[in-house]
Amino acid sequence: MSKNMPETIIHVENLSKLYKNNPVKNSGFNYTSTTFWALKDVNFHVMQGDIVNLSGDNGAGKSTLLKILSRITSPTFGKITGFGRINSLLEVGAGFHPELTGIENIYLNGAMLLMNKAQIKLTIDKICDFAGISKHIHVPVKRYSTGMYMRLAFSMAMHLESEILILDEILAVGDHSFQQKCLKKIKDINSKQGRTILMVDHNNKFPKNLYNKQIKLINGRIEL
Amino acid sequence: MTRKNQIWNITPRPAIFKIRLRNLCPYRYLFAKLIQREITSFYRQTLLGPLWFFIQPLLTTSIFVFTFGKLTKIPTDGIPPPLFYLSGIIIWNYFTDCINKTAGVFKDNLPLFSKIYFPRIIMPLSTVTALLMRFGIQLSLFITLLIFYRFNGFRFHLNSYIFLFPLLIINTAALGLGIGLLISALTIKYRDLNFLIAFGIQLMMYATTVIFPLSATPKHFRKLLQINPVTNIIETFRYALFSKGLTNLQSLISALIISAVILFCGIIAFKRAETNFIDNV
Repeated sequence: MSKNMPETIIHVENLSKLYKNNPVKNSGFNYTSTTFWALKDVNFHVMQGDIVNLSGDNGAGKSTLLKILSRITSPTFGKITGFGRINSLLEVGAGFHPELTGIENIYLNGAMLLMNKAQIKLTIDKICDFAGISKHIHVPVKRYSTGMYMRLAFSMAMHLESEILILDEILAVGDHSFQQKCLKKIKDINSKQGRTILMVDHNNKFPKNLYNKQIKLINGRIEL
Repeated sequence: MTRKNQIWNITPRPAIFKIRLRNLCPYRYLFAKLIQREITSFYRQTLLGPLWFFIQPLLTTSIFVFTFGKLTKIPTDGIPPPLFYLSGIIIWNYFTDCINKTAGVFKDNLPLFSKIYFPRIIMPLSTVTALLMRFGIQLSLFITLLIFYRFNGFRFHLNSYIFLFPLLIINTAALGLGIGLLISALTIKYRDLNFLIAFGIQLMMYATTVIFPLSATPKHFRKLLQINPVTNIIETFRYALFSKGLTNLQSLISALIISAVILFCGIIAFKRAETNFIDNV
């Protein structure tokens, strides 16, 4: 869609995140408090249309970074400047409300991405077809199997409007054929719609040539 | 509507004093969707559905008529006891519903809040608006009872205070929302307060003129009871309907000011809490 010159869509400056272990959190009277830097002085930028592979060992800060980008939590220091709407799939499953049906969740999620009723309506069939859950669309999502849940979440992320897409460990579940379908779809929305994608691919399920940018985190710092 | 080219910033401490309604405007469809969700989930998986909204106030009123009217013989300002109690109960119910629902906003919406961003304040705002439907149903019950008494010989005259009714409801909502937001922010880290709320609300009812008229209280107590905005709201409501009850513009204005201050504090506490509550739950 956008044929203009690529421009910076996310700019991260000196981003740090300190976690304080809340002394009363785990009840009882154990008041020892510990601190931990999940991210320390992280700097990078992402251009419009990039597919970024975010890698690093467990506890390197990948999820924290994506949570800050998705505005689920705030940084301790630093700043991010960005452009457009972000949709994220963090740790299997979008922001579903378990009591609501599949279709109600699609509307709710679309509304959170500032889409209007007509725009959402147009995507419903595509979402259900891709996820293969057309039969169960009027069932509360709490009755979905893990696979159905995951497929619906992924399909919604692909079809609902957003300029930036964040995918964290989304393919922990799902069979091989669905993974291939996802790979094709990711390439599709990137090349046809110019959407920027940041993803964590823990088990290297996708070919390396999918990405045009690599960001590796080691103990909360970027490895250059 | 679509903010494709909207530039955004993520910083450690967003400006909490900048409460811009303009930023919420694009989310009005979400607001409508959340109200709809709230209303349908009220009676999902119940057999009687919205009937529960009638049963609860009716049972409470009957028990109040028996215990406070017949047993302890607390006066009701010359208003038939069922009308007296129900008029207080419906407002009190709306008030406590607002508090309870708003106070649990982080806990109840954890799956949503931990996955996707939208201005969090939309959630409690939509809940309080959705609760108006429940209030409306209970109000219609009250009006039915009022008409029934009218045809059975009870004479009453509405006065001009009835035009303040929308203001009374807005005031109730603002106060309930404000208290709820404060509690929601304070209970993220330390859940101790949760224990207080349940019986705190119960106790507060006895400091509100739900079961007794303000005119039946000792004079030196009245000023104290009138600090509670809900007392002034209920007294005004009864005054508007039956011309019985102690109210004046001064006590109404004080109720409005107290509610506005509490709502303001609630919003600020909520805005502080929402940025990284996920780290503390």
